[in-house]
Amino acid sequence: MRISTSAKWVLGFISGLVLLFIYLPLFVVLINSFNANKNMVWPPPALTTEWWGKAFKSLGLWEAVATSVEVAIASTLLALVLGTLVAMALSRYKFFGRQVVSLLVILPIALPGIVTGIALNNAFRTILGLQLTMATVIIAHATFCVVTVYNNVMARLSRMNPNLQDASADLGAGLWTTFRLVTFPQLRSALFAGGLLAFGLSFDEIIVTTFTAGNGVVTLPIWIYDNMFRPGQAPVVNVVAVVLVLASMIPIYFAQRVSAVQDS
Amino acid sequence: MRSDTTPAIKLVGLQKKFGSTIAVENLDLEIRQGEFFSMLGPSGSGKTTVLRLIAGFELASAGTVFLDGKDVTQSAPFDRDVNTVFQDYALFPHMNVIENVAYGLRVRGVGKAERLAAAAEALATVQLAALASRKPSELSGGQRQRVALARAIAVRPKVLLLDEPLGALDLKLREQMQIELKELQRKLGITFIFVTHDQEEALTLSDRVAVFNNGRIEQLGTPRELYEEPASSFVAGFVGTSNIFSTSESQKLVGTSSVVSIRPERLRLSEAASHDTGTVSLAGQVQEVIYLGAAVRVIVLCEQIPITVLHQFDYGPAPEREASVFVSFKRTDLVSLGN
Repeated sequence: MRISTSAKWVLGFISGLVLLFIYLPLFVVLINSFNANKNMVWPPPALTTEWWGKAFKSLGLWEAVATSVEVAIASTLLALVLGTLVAMALSRYKFFGRQVVSLLVILPIALPGIVTGIALNNAFRTILGLQLTMATVIIAHATFCVVTVYNNVMARLSRMNPNLQDASADLGAGLWTTFRLVTFPQLRSALFAGGLLAFGLSFDEIIVTTFTAGNGVVTLPIWIYDNMFRPGQAPVVNVVAVVLVLASMIPIYFAQRVSAVQDS
Repeated sequence: MRSDTTPAIKLVGLQKKFGSTIAVENLDLEIRQGEFFSMLGPSGSGKTTVLRLIAGFELASAGTVFLDGKDVTQSAPFDRDVNTVFQDYALFPHMNVIENVAYGLRVRGVGKAERLAAAAEALATVQLAALASRKPSELSGGQRQRVALARAIAVRPKVLLLDEPLGALDLKLREQMQIELKELQRKLGITFIFVTHDQEEALTLSDRVAVFNNGRIEQLGTPRELYEEPASSFVAGFVGTSNIFSTSESQKLVGTSSVVSIRPERLRLSEAASHDTGTVSLAGQVQEVIYLGAAVRVIVLCEQIPITVLHQFDYGPAPEREASVFVSFKRTDLVSLGN
């Protein structure tokens, strides 16, 4: 499609404006993490590294980071196994109720967090009679983490030649060998992409976590929320925010590289 | 018990239903050791389903599959001593050529050095030794075809199943691969079961051919038998080209009351009628003349019935359109197809 020079300029200007709108606040957070004024007045009267030092010395913060990473890794692993299994079953076999199962698997990502949170809180405590712990958070997160894995694996399987699995069996490989040597290598990048998204979903989840976390289970989003309005802690939260922005560039970089490899 | 007279494949009362459609109906078939056997038929005739039943990708609804005298009806594909060359080759995209070819030996637990040597040998058989480290995506269609062949023969199966393996190749390459397939089969001495919808391919390659239609075998025989003595009008029409006359047409033309067929190359054109005994001459008018290079195809209208004649230039110049001619043939060349 060809567009006129003036249209190019207008579109470029609007795109720049939108990007500015997204990234300017992040930039402000970055500057504020060095703002010498406790109440973050703008422009900063002076710069300091005090908040960075405080952040790195905060035990609660580090514990929250560790908890979040633990929860995200566990729920991602759970999602990888379950999502792959259900995608393989639904893509390979045609059976009554297949569409319903597919819908039920995808639904949790569309459900409002507050609904999932209340429902699981009820289910864990009232129906199953369980104590809320870190495990309950992991299970709760896995319910929607499964969706990203499922969608990615499903898309890959639908593009994969079904004869590959037949060919493997034909050459003497049993089911597990076929999965290990043929199916899994084909799925690897889809699992990586799905797992990355699942990790991200779990890592910044706050609503469902609030309803399913036991006493003393503090994930990073909950820690930030708790400290946001505590006197003197806001600058430290800014530091955490900056670190998270930088950290989230790593998975995005890998995800783009994986999809670039697939396209070539 | 097995001996050389034990059929390589024996199918007894084999049936396959998909829902309410019957893909294969009550099939009995014996395929001999070392035979080049083709299953020929239009798409949807059940030939590929039979192949998949033999390979084990489909389970029979009824009946038995014997492989080398052993009942394998319920066995999984990996427990059957047959290997398949897929129509789309189904090469593993993440493995290079030699890894693909060595795959069957690898999953059987053959050591690395030994399996790579065997794979290299199989690759040499199909003249691809030089491309061992390429990925399938870097190969041409004909090369992929050879890799698929090498992969299947590397495990030394008793029977090789080929599902339209040449279907995706262009004509020149297909003809070359036909010759190579035939040579390969002779060299290896294993049974080849070849599925195709290309009647010419089936005739040129096979020891015997089964013609499939609607899930059943219409006729089973040598290429010569199928061509010269077709058992039904379906076979007469599907294997080569035939003039097939319905009962009323044959009544008008040759005075018999059954369906008959005759090959276009058995017909001769002349300006005058032939009076030889046992020869039929029909007066007609040339409707169409189609130049084929080595010959012309002439369509003559006799009694309002179009008759196709293959006219060789040796017999004389080709007739003009609209010309009045006689179509002559020996009565013994007519094949009766019943009513």
